[in-house]
Amino acid sequence: MTAGQTAQPPGAAPAAAEVAAELRQAVTRQFGRSLHIRTLDTGSCAACEQEIRMLAAPHYDLQRLGFFFTPAPRHADLLLVTGPMLRAFAPAARKTYAAMPAPKLVVATGACALGGVYQPDPFSHGSVEQVLPVDVWIPGCPPSPLALLQGLLVAVGRLSEQAAGLGFTAADSA
Amino acid sequence: MPLWFVRGLLRGVVSTPYPARPDPSVAGLPTPPAFRPGALGRGVADSLVAICPSRALARDDDTLVFDAGACAATGRCRDQAPDAVTASGAWELAATARPALVKRIPLARGARR
Repeated sequence: MTAGQTAQPPGAAPAAAEVAAELRQAVTRQFGRSLHIRTLDTGSCAACEQEIRMLAAPHYDLQRLGFFFTPAPRHADLLLVTGPMLRAFAPAARKTYAAMPAPKLVVATGACALGGVYQPDPFSHGSVEQVLPVDVWIPGCPPSPLALLQGLLVAVGRLSEQAAGLGFTAADSA
Repeated sequence: MPLWFVRGLLRGVVSTPYPARPDPSVAGLPTPPAFRPGALGRGVADSLVAICPSRALARDDDTLVFDAGACAATGRCRDQAPDAVTASGAWELAATARPALVKRIPLARGARR
């Protein structure tokens, strides 16, 4: 299994949807209770990093869920990527991803990583998915620690995602 | 047995993997906007598109396309059109498919602004 195959594209055939569901179950089996996370800054302003650091603080206590941060890509199951993927950093990002043992997940974190804020230009790819196969997208500028926690739990299949059901509309009461 | 464990039992506080009830720590955080379609005309939509610093908004004919993934929750759209835009309060936004974060909001055909 490689990253990028677990996400179900819109309008996918039923057979593809079944395969995606099976892969997601496999991810849950593999990573549901033990997950090692490598963070990768590809040009972030460091606000996302501050929120990520808060996950290890006592209030959120990420370790109690079986999630751990690791400095070594070879020990990592999940790559938590921030920043708009500067072109200068793309080779290092590819090497980091290649160094991780399969199966592996990539989570794009923050508006920069998701394609907001920076456009593709000679200095930046503009989003993480231009370089790495992203499995889960976590919006926010920066995403709060609870939003990150929700994203990580969605990535390993311990929470169901809610984004598809949100309409971002309000009643015309004003 | 650690004291914090006994104190937690006495107070009835339980540690859960995920907040079992709304967490007060997220109440004051900036969240993406929610739009009132009835108050959104083409003119208002274009002004919102022009003011968004993170390219989260675009207009496609009579539809406002909102990319919640690109939104930085600056609140500029709410300041620009407080009648048409409010805070959504949504923060559980993680998605396993990027298109799930792109929302299409129909514009009011009769609205002048």
